[in-house]
Amino acid sequence: MAVAEARKRRGPSFVVRAAVACVLTVAAAGAVASAQSPKPLPSAADILRTMFAAPALVDYEGTKVISTVQGTRAETVTILEAYKRLGRLRLEFLSPESVSGRLIVDDGLSAWQYEPSLHLVIRGPSFVQGTAHPERATEVLRRYRVSVLGREAVIGRDTVVVALAPGEAGSNRRLWIDEATGVALRTEERDAGGEIVYVSYFSRVSYSLNLPPALFRFRQPAGAKMLNFYVSGDAVTSVNELQARAGKDIILPARLLNRFAFRDGRVARHGAFTAAAAAYTDGVGVVTVFQTPISRMAFPNVGGPVATRTGRARFLDVGYFRVLVWQSRGMNYAVLGNMPQAVLIAIADELAASR
Amino acid sequence: MIHARIVRQLSAYLDGELDPSVSRAVAAHLAECDACRHELAMLRQVKGLLERLPEVEPPQAVWHGLRARLAAEDRATVTILDTMRAAFRRPAVAAVAAMVVLLLVALPLVKGRIDRLQAADIGVDLYVREHALQSVVDPFVDRAYLGLLIGDANLALAGARRTPGEEP
Repeated sequence: MAVAEARKRRGPSFVVRAAVACVLTVAAAGAVASAQSPKPLPSAADILRTMFAAPALVDYEGTKVISTVQGTRAETVTILEAYKRLGRLRLEFLSPESVSGRLIVDDGLSAWQYEPSLHLVIRGPSFVQGTAHPERATEVLRRYRVSVLGREAVIGRDTVVVALAPGEAGSNRRLWIDEATGVALRTEERDAGGEIVYVSYFSRVSYSLNLPPALFRFRQPAGAKMLNFYVSGDAVTSVNELQARAGKDIILPARLLNRFAFRDGRVARHGAFTAAAAAYTDGVGVVTVFQTPISRMAFPNVGGPVATRTGRARFLDVGYFRVLVWQSRGMNYAVLGNMPQAVLIAIADELAASR
Repeated sequence: MIHARIVRQLSAYLDGELDPSVSRAVAAHLAECDACRHELAMLRQVKGLLERLPEVEPPQAVWHGLRARLAAEDRATVTILDTMRAAFRRPAVAAVAAMVVLLLVALPLVKGRIDRLQAADIGVDLYVREHALQSVVDPFVDRAYLGLLIGDANLALAGARRTPGEEP
């Protein structure tokens, strides 16, 4: 009886205490181990799919900084950007002074631009695509060597860093994609020498499930002058149709560099000026070829001279895009795209040879 | 000879104005065609009635009125022509007229040249704008940067080009 009382006072036996200690030790070790082991990185395909699905899933507003190097010149622009599903956009330009105060509101059908210094509103077609295109990841993976470099924090959010090296033509890009939302919080583009020529990043961003629609409705300021700039004619999807509209003198190959396929074309008009515009794509990037007879347009004195097999040519870097213009056999040509200069020159040479 | 053509020639046949060969053909047709014979009889009757009408002289007042109006129109024509001739004999008026003609000829040429130079000035802006709109489908394109490019191109097309703010 005395022995039993003594056991009750001492509590559980040594064996029981040892077993509990073991269980606790194993659990603690597991917890530490799981805290230390990094979360596996998503595959390139998965993170790209998340990125291309974001426009249909996420509303956001933030402050964006864009820096571009255009030849010897650099420009940094700061913008308040708000986006609402599916394809509504509001941009308020903060700096530099030359662009400060500009407001652009795009409701998915039309875009309004207000220039306060001129008290002028310019209305044109929408330039926002708000639908999800996760299938584009496949095309990107085919055209680029894509690698996931790791995970980095950008403005306090976890991002996956993806590097894209072009297979044939294109620019080297690096993207910091918000792992939770798919929004690219930072984008860099580098030239062949590895120098950054374009960078865009959010210095602040907040996500919302539902930004107010009123933010994406344009209200014309009282007394402001309004201009309508719908300069593009209806698009046609066949080379023959475009030739019928623009004239037989224009060159319209079905493919460029055996890589970019004809997508669609139109005749652009502004006042007395008209130009045949043919858009080509490799599934990711877009190349547009413009043609105008020299009887309607003198040679544009833009950018700097550049040597091509076609003769007189000039090259202009507008930041994200590059422009090559040249004259040949009574026509002014221009090719625009987000490709290095060498690719645009190769397109010009191919067009000249097909004449 | 067909019936319709004979009908048109009956009046001339009646007045003896047809060539002998045509006249013979009409006579041969009349021998076979009741309708044409009836038409000829009607014409003959009308002609007879007209021949029996007395000749009437118009009143003198009609002739006076007509002559006065014709003379007035002649004077007006002479006055305008004389005035124009006199004006063109003045060197200043002749020079102005020559300039007007020259302007009418040169204006389309000058306008074409101005349009051509203006196209060179804004052409690349139109290209950039159109290409930016086409690039909406580029999965990596930055919406805000598209807005900047399209906005700048719009301004240039509106005649108020922006000078980009260069980094210091």
